[in-house]
Amino acid sequence: MRQKGSLGWLKHDLTHRGPTAWLLTLGLFAFYFILYYGGRTLAGVAIPDLFTPIARALHLPSKWTFYGLLYTLAIAIGGAYVIYKYRHNRYQVIRTSVVIFVQATLAFSVPWILTIFEQPEYYFSYLWPLKMEYFYPSTILAMPLPFILFSLLGSLIMVPLLGIFFGKRWYCSWVCGCGGLANTAGEPFRHLSNKSSKAWAFEKWSIHITLFLSLVTTAFVIASWGVGENYPAFSEQAASLRSLYGFVVATLLSGIIGVALYPVGGTRVWCRYFCPMAAILGLVQKFGRYRIRVKDNMCISCGMCSTYCEMGIDVRAYAQRNQDFVRASCVGCGICAEVCPRGVLRLENRWRRDPQELSMDALLNETYRG
Amino acid sequence: MHVVIVGNGVAGTEAALAIRRRLDPSRARITLISEEHPYFFSRTALMYAYMERMQRRDLEPYEREMYRRQKIELLHNRVVDIDADAHAITLDAGTTLSYDRLLLAVGARPRMVPFEGLDEVKDGLVNFVSMQDLDHCERLTWSTTEAVVLGGGLIGVELAESFIHHGLKVSFVVREPYFWPAALAAEEGELIGAEIRRHGIELIIDRELKGIESDEAGRVSGVRLSDGRHLPAQMLGVAIGVVPNVDWLREVKTVPVLGRGIRVDRSFRTSLPDVFAAGDCAEIGGEDETPLLETIWYSAKLQGQRAASAILGDEVNYAPPIFYNSSKFFGIEYTTVGQCVGVPSGTRSLYRKHPTRPITQRILFDEARVLGFSMLGSRWDHTLLQQWIAERRPLSYVREHLHRAQFDVEFGRVDLTKFQEEERTL
Repeated sequence: MRQKGSLGWLKHDLTHRGPTAWLLTLGLFAFYFILYYGGRTLAGVAIPDLFTPIARALHLPSKWTFYGLLYTLAIAIGGAYVIYKYRHNRYQVIRTSVVIFVQATLAFSVPWILTIFEQPEYYFSYLWPLKMEYFYPSTILAMPLPFILFSLLGSLIMVPLLGIFFGKRWYCSWVCGCGGLANTAGEPFRHLSNKSSKAWAFEKWSIHITLFLSLVTTAFVIASWGVGENYPAFSEQAASLRSLYGFVVATLLSGIIGVALYPVGGTRVWCRYFCPMAAILGLVQKFGRYRIRVKDNMCISCGMCSTYCEMGIDVRAYAQRNQDFVRASCVGCGICAEVCPRGVLRLENRWRRDPQELSMDALLNETYRG
Repeated sequence: MHVVIVGNGVAGTEAALAIRRRLDPSRARITLISEEHPYFFSRTALMYAYMERMQRRDLEPYEREMYRRQKIELLHNRVVDIDADAHAITLDAGTTLSYDRLLLAVGARPRMVPFEGLDEVKDGLVNFVSMQDLDHCERLTWSTTEAVVLGGGLIGVELAESFIHHGLKVSFVVREPYFWPAALAAEEGELIGAEIRRHGIELIIDRELKGIESDEAGRVSGVRLSDGRHLPAQMLGVAIGVVPNVDWLREVKTVPVLGRGIRVDRSFRTSLPDVFAAGDCAEIGGEDETPLLETIWYSAKLQGQRAASAILGDEVNYAPPIFYNSSKFFGIEYTTVGQCVGVPSGTRSLYRKHPTRPITQRILFDEARVLGFSMLGSRWDHTLLQQWIAERRPLSYVREHLHRAQFDVEFGRVDLTKFQEEERTL
């Protein structure tokens, strides 16, 4: 239903896949296209480089720093809105503050300051396989030892360990910049995620295929570094695989598709369907402590939880069947618990084995707990 | 076996799913009939759809595909006749459908009293009980600047909150001296009253509706109150409770025994053979008992499941679990368990109030044990509170363990030591 007043239709339109939403998506596509390809010539057409002059005018080293600044501003402004909106909920206030802090420091200022001190631009908030380069030998060898240690131990030990204790949320909704943008500037679009079981089935395939590709690419690149001198053809293959992965996953899926689809596809398209880091954390999460607890027999099936789940999890299906659960895709943003008008849900870190990933048909068999 | 279920609300749908859980399609054919909406939807979320927080499709708890997979046949039609001797029903479309077991889960509709001027009203009366009410509200909101809500209960608050969302000027008329004495003590009622006023609603207590005024077209134009005051209104929400939807049953060929609702025994059998009833429309109890009419979501869901057992031939002796209910008044969450109003005199009450925030707890108890909890403003695990009542725990035990029943969000746990306490005998 539209709002009253002359601008009423606009509000409705933007957050419900109307023409305004599509225009915004188109605008974001154009933004990313010029950001990535500005200054280059594609198929004989010169793409104007709009952002380098702006960056120069602002005395920023490159258009990428300018993009980082925009990104950080989006998270800070969106984050302020989210903190205000959920000011009565301390989980949301603390989580969002951490997200803003991490973005402003680890993902923006620290790498910039590092370059001032003539160190490599290093992002402590990004890890392999989200940041594939951090496992590529050529990149690793260019780094000082502490960064190498952080890259290796961070990905191989810290990520799974924290995942076991706190679920995937410690990264996906507290640290990661992709999740950070989704949970702040993306807040008005979180309800647009696809809740169908078809989307769930698709996600299971797509995310694990991306994970597989990232593993294969990493393995090829490392192998070609080790034996490349003897097998130039293999080296060439590895290099083209590396650039193909970089283009399809890093540029297309995480940047362009991931953000530009916010107004029409919801905020976590990248995180849900493609992010290899989310795939690993999701597998870890299944064996860890994190879960969503459901208060028995209290759900009124209103569906606010499912509507506002940015990962498209049908939370209501579990809640109305009194089923504690954890889904691999759950990023623990905590909005389902926040919007529940009956306080049925709670995020918990507790060792207790519950059935997980129940199919919708299995859920139909769970019933009243007397 | 062919089970026909009339009404696809929570009781009817739960019954259908419970039957399918036990009998596969080769052993039971299940037909679910509704004239309201072809698919089960969440009545409790109508306000969120009206407030644009949800879309219509979000109201449906099950994917439409589910009914096909579970082989539950859906009919969007109205039942006009029941012939229990022939085991057949007739639909509005004229078709006859035979059944082996019939479950009536036809729910309730808003209660209405013959206010002065009601006969002239053709448009502008609204409620939040059916999908049609939602259509109705959405259609009328455009041409409304002032609205009146009558009746201090849950649906009344939902209507008032939704009207405020749409920028209407809202007056909320409550007959009682404070908000919802049927469930809340005076202090809590006043706390909710303050919350209602804080959102810009004029809460008018201790007044009744005297008459409804309408314009030439029959659209509501205002109301008159018992003190002579006139309130202009283009929408009037009359939320003074619901009554079982049984009037249509007085005209069918074989009429089941009716009280306020459809009379059923504790295994949900009506007076007609192989005809059952459950949910808001069912009035449960034997000959010499006070009939039990539960019109809340939780009861309807449980009754639907229990009625399904009875239909499948199990011994069922329905007794409601220890009462509990929950709600949310604007930002204030409410949980109640056990007996909190209408308690015998001499019952003691412990009232705990947060010094600054709108958070309160009331525990009712006697010398031996706790009887009920009425909690506002923070989240509680009602199952633990229920357990303490069932275990007949004394107040001292409950006070010591109260924190265990808190269900607040992470980092948001309310510090229970800060509360001001007041004990009194009722």
